[in-house]
Amino acid sequence: MPDTTKNANSNLGFLTVCEQEDQSLFGGLLVLNVSGRPLEFHCTAPVRPNRAQEILYGPTLRPYLYGEQIGRALMERLSAVPAVVFTDVEPVLALRPLTKAPVVYVGTETESKANPEGTARIDAPHPTPGGSMRLQRFRLGSWQLAVPQAHAEDESRVVSHWQSHADDFDLIEPFGRIREAIEEARRSAR
Amino acid sequence: MQRQHHPWEDWPDSELPTHDATPIEIESVDLSVSASIFATGWATLLNRAPKIGIKRAAIDSAPPSAVSVRLRRPKVTVRSFTFPESPTWMPLADRKPSPVKREPLPESTAKQDRATRIAPPSDVIKLQDRLYYVLQPSLESLVLSNELEFPFEPFPYQFEGIAFLYPRYSAILADEMGLGKTMQAISTIRLLLYAGEVRRVLLICPKPLVSNWRREFTLWAPEIPVAIIEGDRAKRQWQWTDLDVAVRIANYELLMRDRDLVVDPQGHFDLVVLDEAQRIKNRSSTTSQVVRAIPRTRNWAMTGTPVENSSDDLVGIFDFLSQGYLTPGMKPRAMAKATRDFILRRTKDMVLTDMPPKLFRDAELELSPEQYATYRTAEDDGVLRLEDMGEGITIQHVFELVLRLKQICNFDPATGASCKLERLEADLEEVAASGQKAIVFSQWVHSLERLRDSLRRFGTLEYHGKIPHKQRESVIERFKSDASKHVILMSYGAGSVGLNLQFCRYVFLFDRWWNPAIEDQAINRAHRIGVAGSVTVTRMLTLGTIEERINQILQEKRELFDAIFSETGSAPGNAGLTHDEIFGLFNLRTPQGPIKNAS
Repeated sequence: MPDTTKNANSNLGFLTVCEQEDQSLFGGLLVLNVSGRPLEFHCTAPVRPNRAQEILYGPTLRPYLYGEQIGRALMERLSAVPAVVFTDVEPVLALRPLTKAPVVYVGTETESKANPEGTARIDAPHPTPGGSMRLQRFRLGSWQLAVPQAHAEDESRVVSHWQSHADDFDLIEPFGRIREAIEEARRSAR
Repeated sequence: MQRQHHPWEDWPDSELPTHDATPIEIESVDLSVSASIFATGWATLLNRAPKIGIKRAAIDSAPPSAVSVRLRRPKVTVRSFTFPESPTWMPLADRKPSPVKREPLPESTAKQDRATRIAPPSDVIKLQDRLYYVLQPSLESLVLSNELEFPFEPFPYQFEGIAFLYPRYSAILADEMGLGKTMQAISTIRLLLYAGEVRRVLLICPKPLVSNWRREFTLWAPEIPVAIIEGDRAKRQWQWTDLDVAVRIANYELLMRDRDLVVDPQGHFDLVVLDEAQRIKNRSSTTSQVVRAIPRTRNWAMTGTPVENSSDDLVGIFDFLSQGYLTPGMKPRAMAKATRDFILRRTKDMVLTDMPPKLFRDAELELSPEQYATYRTAEDDGVLRLEDMGEGITIQHVFELVLRLKQICNFDPATGASCKLERLEADLEEVAASGQKAIVFSQWVHSLERLRDSLRRFGTLEYHGKIPHKQRESVIERFKSDASKHVILMSYGAGSVGLNLQFCRYVFLFDRWWNPAIEDQAINRAHRIGVAGSVTVTRMLTLGTIEERINQILQEKRELFDAIFSETGSAPGNAGLTHDEIFGLFNLRTPQGPIKNAS
């Protein structure tokens, strides 16, 4: 893991995992300065769980792969830990116990509209207790964010660090860049 | 049991009865069977006690086997890319406050969720380099973040133009005139300077456009230091070699004179931009040879007419971008394929949805040296004379001086020099080359007649007070139908009402009328609301002259009117100059007292 003493910088990390049609997973971690300019980018080769893992990890498979494996591998390559790591994929929050930086889930508007009351159709696949982390949700500027409840103190860290910038910075837009970069890397590998 | 013997068994075969023998005799036979008990001894056995024996049987078997499924930690391979942290979009250390009055950004015509990203061109091979471009923030986010100030929000197609130029080392921006090639180039240069990708830029343009470029830099990139290469040889040498400035602007003619300085390898440029690049279409011309010899890393060409006469024109421009990439006589299809990734060309029709129907360009020009000398003398002497008049001064006296000065702004009476004409010729080259038509308005027939002589090569027609009424209809008809006629010269009075020239895409106001409402009527000869196609209006104005002062007053009045009546959308009424405003143009006192609003 990188030197965690360097995490006093104000750079921001954006970490996402893209699932391809063949169920292979690509992770991408982009570090931006406060002006939104790229400083570092790390991406994984495709990761594909085998059948045994799918069966035996059950609902914990995604947090395991997204956070503990892909997220961790990406974070290990950083030259310095960013002030905050944002993700648009909830299972990445499983990375949090493995890093010093707060890992913050940026909810999308679509999600909150789709499930305003936290209810679920009983005939639809729904998370089991082992597959979904308990979250502490909060607002920062116009953004709806969440941190793992086990690290509830992250909320105040994020708020104090980022409050003055929150409205100026599009916290969703960098994930589009990561996906394009992953696609570019895939094309170059063909 | 004994077998029973039958009597017939003893009979010989010959004695057996036949069917033909005597009747059958019946003899009775005793069938009783005698039975006796046979002693088996079983009853004794049944009463005997059973014997029990024990046999050993092994119950051992193989132990159950377990199958282990190894849950190996998935192998995650990571590729890493780091990018240099450049000065980014943060303010330059020596950034100066903007010298121009900033206007608030107008309401966006673009969708807020639009994101124009820099796409790596096909000749960028290395993944690291490609990702550097892919991972840059969207251009819209730069505008919205206020880290870089933009006086107006660019149109979506202009963002695309910037995204096109930014990553390219060789590029042709070939947008139709009026779409803002200048703004797109300046904004891209600005971004490259902030990103630290370029530090030394040379922009070459026709002489009449130099002041326009400087003005546009002031508007779109006020903090970027810009130097116009000019003056005597010693000064120019210092400007070429020693001056610490990000952007140098030189005109083509001067480039010829300073050839030895420009091509000096010590003076390497990170970027050279050629405006009106069709000037180098002739590969053997001296201009072409000099620009090709400039030591440089990146090169862009800007032209509204990359192909004027034949596809070989493009070969000439490409010889500057990448010598030998195109060859004369190349088949058009092959040429199109080879140049696809290097040229961006948009016409107004293509970006119509992005554009307002009327697009105004202010051509703010500097008087030629001859004009300036004449102008200064005329104004200084004229003002002295007016002041000497004392209480006898009338509005007519001031008005005469204004008209005199405005005429000098059009043409120097002694030499015929005209900065406006130089600019107009440069623009009309593009209008004619693209097969378009233009109206040129002036308030003086005398100015129009001078223009006629200079613009003859564009197929010039006239429509003003000296053209007999009976001929006017045929002039308009000829202008419409004759493809070789690209320009019609009109006076405001004759051409402002009752004419429909909506096939014209360009209007030039060679001088300005007193009242913007009259100008609007003139412009509307070419523009009608609801009619497809936009009109580019170029308003010519000489800087530091009476024209600028009049324009400033009229502009303020127009803004005031717009602020009050923007809801109703009605046209301004009498928006011309008042009595006091005309006196105020020269800081004069009216017979009634000093003018408070004098400029």
